[in-house]
Amino acid sequence: MAMLEQLPQRSFVTRTPWYATPRKFTGPLLRDVLSACGAHGTNVRATALNDYRVDLPFDDAQRFDVLVARLLDDKPMAVRDKGPLFIIYPFDSSAELRTTLYYSRSAWQLKSLEVQ
Amino acid sequence: MATEVARSAVDAAAVAAVPRSRRFTPFGLMGLVLALVLAAVALVQARQFALLKQTVVYQDDYVVLSLYQVQAEYLRLREHWVRAQLEGDSYERAALQLRYDIWVSRVGLLRNERTARLMVGNDDYIEPLRQMNEFIDRADTVLGTTTAKPVDAAALAELRPALEALAGPIHSMTLSASHHVAEQIAQRNAAVRSHNQVALLLTVFLSMLVLAFGLMAMRQMRLLSERQRALVDLTAHLREAQRQAESASEAKSVFLANISHEIRTPFHGLLGMLSLLRDTGLNARQVDYLRTATESADHLLTILNDVLDMSLLESGRLALAEEPVNLRDLLREVESLMRPQAQLKSLALHIDADPGVPEKVRADRTRVKQILFNLVNNAVKFSDRGVVVVDLHRASGDDGSEQLEFVVTDTGIGMDQATLDRLFKRFSQGDESRSRRHGGTGLGLEISRSLARLMGGDVTAKSVPGEGSSFSFRMPLHAIAPAPLPRSPEPAPAGPEPDGMASLRVLVAEDHPVNRQYMAALLEGMGHRPFFAANGLEAVQAIREQRFDIVLMDLHMPLLDGVGATLSIRALNDGVAATVPIIALTADAFAQTRERCLMAGMNDFLAKPVSPERLSAMFRRLFGGAHGAEPLPAGAPELPLPGPTPEVLDRATLDAALRAMPRERLAQLLQSFFEEGPEMVERLRVALRDGQALDLRVNAHAARGAALNFGLSALAQTAQALHEGATHVPAHEIARLIQRFEQLLTTSREACAAAGLLEPVTE
Repeated sequence: MAMLEQLPQRSFVTRTPWYATPRKFTGPLLRDVLSACGAHGTNVRATALNDYRVDLPFDDAQRFDVLVARLLDDKPMAVRDKGPLFIIYPFDSSAELRTTLYYSRSAWQLKSLEVQ
Repeated sequence: MATEVARSAVDAAAVAAVPRSRRFTPFGLMGLVLALVLAAVALVQARQFALLKQTVVYQDDYVVLSLYQVQAEYLRLREHWVRAQLEGDSYERAALQLRYDIWVSRVGLLRNERTARLMVGNDDYIEPLRQMNEFIDRADTVLGTTTAKPVDAAALAELRPALEALAGPIHSMTLSASHHVAEQIAQRNAAVRSHNQVALLLTVFLSMLVLAFGLMAMRQMRLLSERQRALVDLTAHLREAQRQAESASEAKSVFLANISHEIRTPFHGLLGMLSLLRDTGLNARQVDYLRTATESADHLLTILNDVLDMSLLESGRLALAEEPVNLRDLLREVESLMRPQAQLKSLALHIDADPGVPEKVRADRTRVKQILFNLVNNAVKFSDRGVVVVDLHRASGDDGSEQLEFVVTDTGIGMDQATLDRLFKRFSQGDESRSRRHGGTGLGLEISRSLARLMGGDVTAKSVPGEGSSFSFRMPLHAIAPAPLPRSPEPAPAGPEPDGMASLRVLVAEDHPVNRQYMAALLEGMGHRPFFAANGLEAVQAIREQRFDIVLMDLHMPLLDGVGATLSIRALNDGVAATVPIIALTADAFAQTRERCLMAGMNDFLAKPVSPERLSAMFRRLFGGAHGAEPLPAGAPELPLPGPTPEVLDRATLDAALRAMPRERLAQLLQSFFEEGPEMVERLRVALRDGQALDLRVNAHAARGAALNFGLSALAQTAQALHEGATHVPAHEIARLIQRFEQLLTTSREACAAAGLLEPVTE
């Protein structure tokens, strides 16, 4: 968590299927996180606390400003609020992202990222 | 017939044009329907797109997933819950806490707006949600983030029944949601299906429309190609009709030419008979009638000539005969013939040639003169006062080529534009009333223009009514560099010996005694035997009685002219006599005359003056080389006069005569010609006095022929002017010409004497 805090922080406000109103998300970019780990691969497997698993193409981190959000509206997220970490795509920036595919890749209650 | 074809074609085109304009309406209607159908298709697609978008936004499937997750997390929580109860303190609280938080977060999702919207009004949703929230409120006292209450078995046991009680409602909520969503999916599918059906129907309709359009286009194409084929057929028909019309027109021209020609031959006989009639002792009234008849006949001949010219021009059979022409001489001839007419109307006549105009050009002398006569004649005819000017100068054509331009200007009545426009049209004169006043065939200007165009030039007119007209006749300029007169006769080519030649029996039909003597000298000099006939009748008689190798036939003779005599000879029963070669001799070298001779059955044509060279060339053509030899006396004499020949004599002709006969013989001939001179003049005067135009012509013609043979050029020219002017030039002018003829007789005689040509007799 401390490592994530030390990476450059980005934030944006976007609408999501999970909240009725647009919310502000803050955290490091996924690609910064991956490069900080020196990770290379084709997929990033995100696993949530509830054992939800989803594979993100490695490329997504480069193509989009995908956040590993730590803060929701500048406040840390509890597990009940889908914390502690939330992979969030900038849905409002592109219509392409506003599809089920990308919604499903936005894993919340993120437990681990595994590069494959 | 051509017109009928054309008209029916036009009708067909009109009929074809009508349905085309009617067909436009169904096309428009179909276009409208097509537009409507396309709009409907667009609408359906838009609806489908909207529906799809709606699906994406609502994420109904996702809601169902959320509900299942709530159920799954509930089951996991319950499992942990039981384990925590059983294991008591040894159980790690954090694990339970995590499961609890995850479940709570899942329940929280059900509260969000979208899920609420999907499940709105559904009791299977509201009631379980309320129960779950109630349980969370209670459980938070033990497991909440803010409470510090220990998780002990007792607390868990106390809450467990409530937890267990949630299982039923959550299950039924999940079921209900999936049913609900399934229902919604079914509805959506139905909508999509119906939209698809509509779209399919529209597509089918659209296809049919396109098919109909295609069929109509094909029909249109077929109609078009049919129409094109009809047009091609029509064109072929029209072309054929045009060809027929043209060939018919040409046939008519040929017919007209033949008929005019046929008319002319007996007509000449008529004129001859009229002139014979004159000598039969007529009283004054009869003479008057005869003059009127002769004038009418001359006028008729003019018309016939015009018609013949026209028909020849039209059928393209008129050929130009180009020869060297002295332009100033030609203008003088025009002047000498037109001046009397102009004087009769008190008109001044000025004829002028620019110094830049070459002396000699190549041109068809007869036709150029014909055009000028026509133009000047018109100018005189349509002017009652003032002046007629003929001006000849160089000009350049549109393409920059060199041209000659004759401009004939008058101060006559002039013409307005409308008259000018139809001036060159057939049978049209200035106007009807004028036509009646001035007479004429109305072909003159058309012939002139056609002739000029045949030469490569044109005749154009400008005019101001009341002020006069100006006609311009242009023709290409083919100048001939003036050749110096030979100072001495060329040495005669050495021919075979006279005794080596076959001698021909030659019949010469010639009315003029001097000419007869000349021909005798010529033929004898060549080693042939001449026989003579004084007129056509005598010639025919001679042919019937004796055998001749060849006949030299003068065209103008009393009793029966050359053409008539030839016709009679050719009609003889005696095969040998009827096929004797006949050569025409005449002073006028018109192509028409030549044609007339050949039509009558003559073999060839010799223009006067008859030179020994031409005669021998002719014999060569007819009988082969031996007869063509020129049996000239050795050492042909030269003219003794070293200086330039006097103007009145033609050196070349005299040279030729001297080559053909000894000087003494020529001297005798000249002597007898000059001795006969006063008698000739007297005959001309008598003819003039008695108003015997034809007599005048015949005498003038005879005099001209003789004068030409002896190279008395000035005398010959005056005789020709008399000959040509005999019928239409006023009497006082004729008298002047006769007087000139008399003067020239003396002058010519003196010139001959000076040249030593009369010496043997004077000695």
